[in-house]
Amino acid sequence: MNTFAGFLRRLSLLARAILKVVLAVVAPLAGFLRRLLAGFLRRLSVLARPILKVMLVVVTPLAGFLRRLLAGLLRRLSVVERAILRVVLVVLTPLANFRRHHPVLARGILTVVFVAVSLFATYFFDPITNYNLAAGAAMSIVIVGLSFLTGFSGQVSLGNGAFMGVGCYVAAIWANHHATTPMIGVLALATAAGGAVGLLIGLPATRLRGPYLAGMTIAFAVAFPSVLDLFSSWTNGGTALQLPQLLSPPGWIVSLFSKSTGSLTPNNMWLADVAIIVAGVAFFFMANLFQSRTGRAMRLVRENEVAAELAGVSLARARVLAFMVAAAYAGLGGGLTTLVSGSVAPSNFQLNLSITILAVLVIGGIGTLSGALIGGMVYAYSTTWINQIVSHTNLDPTGSVATSLNGIIFGALLIIVMLVAPLGIAGSLRLFIAKGLARRS
Amino acid sequence: MIRVKGLTVSYGAVQALRDVSFEAASGSVTAVIGANGAGKTTLLRTISALVHSTSGEIDLDGTQLVGKTTESIARLGVGHVPEGRGVIEEFTVEENLRLGALHGNESFSAGLADQFELFPVLAERRKQHAGTLSGGERQMLAMARALIARPSVLLLDEPSLGLAPLVTAELMKTIKELCVSRQLTVILVEQNAVSALRVSEHAVVLHVGRVAAYDRAEVVANDENLRHYYLGMAE
Amino acid sequence: MDGFLASRAVSDLLVGLHFGVVIGLVALSLVLIWRATHILNFAQGAMAAFSAYLGMSLLSYNVGYWWCAIASVFAGLVFGGITERVLIRRLYGKPEINPIVVMVGFLALLEAIATAVWGASGRAVPLPFSFVDWQLNSQTGQTIAISPEGVYQIVAALVVTILIVVLFRYTNLGLQLRAAAVAPEVSRLLGVRVSRMLTLGWILSSGVGAVAAVIVASNFGPGLTPTVMDAPFAIAFIAAAVGGLESPWGALLAGVAFGIMQQFVTDYLNNSDYVFLIALGVLVVVLMIRPQGVFSKSVSRRV
Repeated sequence: MNTFAGFLRRLSLLARAILKVVLAVVAPLAGFLRRLLAGFLRRLSVLARPILKVMLVVVTPLAGFLRRLLAGLLRRLSVVERAILRVVLVVLTPLANFRRHHPVLARGILTVVFVAVSLFATYFFDPITNYNLAAGAAMSIVIVGLSFLTGFSGQVSLGNGAFMGVGCYVAAIWANHHATTPMIGVLALATAAGGAVGLLIGLPATRLRGPYLAGMTIAFAVAFPSVLDLFSSWTNGGTALQLPQLLSPPGWIVSLFSKSTGSLTPNNMWLADVAIIVAGVAFFFMANLFQSRTGRAMRLVRENEVAAELAGVSLARARVLAFMVAAAYAGLGGGLTTLVSGSVAPSNFQLNLSITILAVLVIGGIGTLSGALIGGMVYAYSTTWINQIVSHTNLDPTGSVATSLNGIIFGALLIIVMLVAPLGIAGSLRLFIAKGLARRS
Repeated sequence: MIRVKGLTVSYGAVQALRDVSFEAASGSVTAVIGANGAGKTTLLRTISALVHSTSGEIDLDGTQLVGKTTESIARLGVGHVPEGRGVIEEFTVEENLRLGALHGNESFSAGLADQFELFPVLAERRKQHAGTLSGGERQMLAMARALIARPSVLLLDEPSLGLAPLVTAELMKTIKELCVSRQLTVILVEQNAVSALRVSEHAVVLHVGRVAAYDRAEVVANDENLRHYYLGMAE
Repeated sequence: MDGFLASRAVSDLLVGLHFGVVIGLVALSLVLIWRATHILNFAQGAMAAFSAYLGMSLLSYNVGYWWCAIASVFAGLVFGGITERVLIRRLYGKPEINPIVVMVGFLALLEAIATAVWGASGRAVPLPFSFVDWQLNSQTGQTIAISPEGVYQIVAALVVTILIVVLFRYTNLGLQLRAAAVAPEVSRLLGVRVSRMLTLGWILSSGVGAVAAVIVASNFGPGLTPTVMDAPFAIAFIAAAVGGLESPWGALLAGVAFGIMQQFVTDYLNNSDYVFLIALGVLVVVLMIRPQGVFSKSVSRRV
């Protein structure tokens, strides 16, 4: 026993000595790095404030701004003009009341308006922009699902890339075997598939708390390419699976636009339009979910589990439901992406995809709708931007630096945004507005 | 001896302690009493630097404690038994005591023997997990853990909480004996003001963060006007 | 006897043991960091691979394997300490999501930087011992499915595990590490330098991870790649979760079990893709039956 004690003492001394050396190296280096990081983050925050102020001016809700402007003008104008403006005000106020009393309808109208405006805009965009819009819209559906999952029920899932892959492959395989199914059918299938797999993984996964859940979804994401390989007879193994035909508009729409000028490609515009409409519908439902009793119950679950249980909210059911919804949305986004891009390959669905999705969501703003939209667009344009960086800095586009630029940028952004502004762009803006309003009252 | 001068602690807009001053001499027990929320626990936590003071001084035998870290204050010989006792349930009784002895100067076996003599019940339960102990046993463990490092100061936060009256009486007796025999500076925070006043030399009565009274214990105990500050009948 | 030792089942067992012990080592580093800091380090694999890269870059200067290995471990130790001081310090007291997301970002960042600096193609790690399976019988040419290199790796993993267990359970330093994780405030009142203990937890865990990375890279065909630790990390996480993140031996045992399972599955089902599915399946089953992990002593649901 004594020799064991002696061994322990010697082991302890050795460990202590090694650790002292390590600490001697770590302390000054870490201190330097920490000051560097702190200074960098501080400068970012200082920079962010005027940017936020500018965005505030641009993004401030139109009704409130108009109302104040009109009220101010009213004081300075002639009687006739005053009468006209009063009529306008009379129209605006009931609109605000309408929104309060009929939220769903108001949201629906808002969605329709937004979609209509976007559809109109796609008429004037070039095919590349439309393609990016389509891809971005599809991706934002995936992201909004994750926004709901993480923002509302507080579960971090890194499996959404895999769920998206489920949707992609189901859509591709079905389209290959049943070419006549209308697009909506294929999308519905992709959504259902995503939801089903989400239920399968979600049932056990949501029994786990935060880090365990994230770990399990990482495992799922890493395993996904292997799973695809297992079903290689259907998934075409390691090579890409093509859609039998590209997404094309039905005849009557083509004839409508046959009078269009030569520079427009009806196909790409159709892609963008389809994607925008689907995204609009998806976002409409998600917006309602955010505000519904279920959504609020889930938020309660995230913020205070004990209170939620006391209030009769079934914790497990709420979590599984949130997981399923997120997976279903990911499936829908995946199916749509396949329809837009025309092919799928297993190499697209590695862990990196899930991390990128999380990154753009964090940048956009967890738990918000607009954040998901921002995230989708950032994702869609990130390849273009990165390619521009590569060409501007004269890097070898096939070299290791260029290929890893995506990971470097998104990884770093994820860390920095989480440290500086964990609420993301949309979330911080919302907080800023709320604080500003509170200060004024 | 601990000297507190002009101690002020603010949590944002709330002032938990306002200009608190008193002295606690070695070999004596100083009681700190008052209603719930008067700032008693905050006072002890500030001495141990778990809470930062906005202004004021805390002097331990000539050494300034303000600005030091909790760990270094503990190593200076300040033993703090926190509210709720703070026994580590996952550890055994012996592991808890070993942890307490780490920053002391004595060998662990000697210190252990010492504490087992003081609290024989702990010797019986030495291999048991602390989570299985009763309230009174946990109190003994927490005190033994603080004492094993041979501190010069003992900060006790509501040691009688949840204990039966008989056990409380025993506990107070033990505290007094230890204080005298080891010449400790004991600051005793108690809800149970009556039993605390019985064993202390001096008493500080706190009321919403301010010192309502600071005098010899018998004087405080006999003052009718002060009673409503610590018997829970304050406005 | 030779026939038995060279048989398929025993071969699978040995190969599986070899692989599983390495997984167990990664799982051990996860358990270590969880027990010491109550954070699950998702960048563990990436940090370990990065440390291995740093150490192995000395190979270009004609430094031998042993020095490179020690350098990798040292790099791991320092890297872990720096990460804790610079990054993790900012995350204490924040909501649970924040460290998860930040570490995931760190994972992506590290792998990308490693790709940028050292390239995505593998860098071969020299082997200190022969990788040729031992010959049982020079006449029949039968071999047992283990080589000197394999034995070295198993022994190394076992030694590290034993050292960590001894450190945690029997030394005063281990006591402080454990106390700092489960009861930081009380520990500070008892004079424990809690922040230093947290840094130490990361230092040790990262060092263990570096050992694992060097071994994994030695076994992997292409050698050391930026993503070489992704799959081992995923399986090791499952193993650690099954074993219960509380127990070092549990992590090692679960890792070995998974390794053996993987080998049998790959051999008999002729397809390594089933492994992940089965691993996930096991995790699901264990979670439904005993959510706190097979080897965890706590009765209440730690998860």
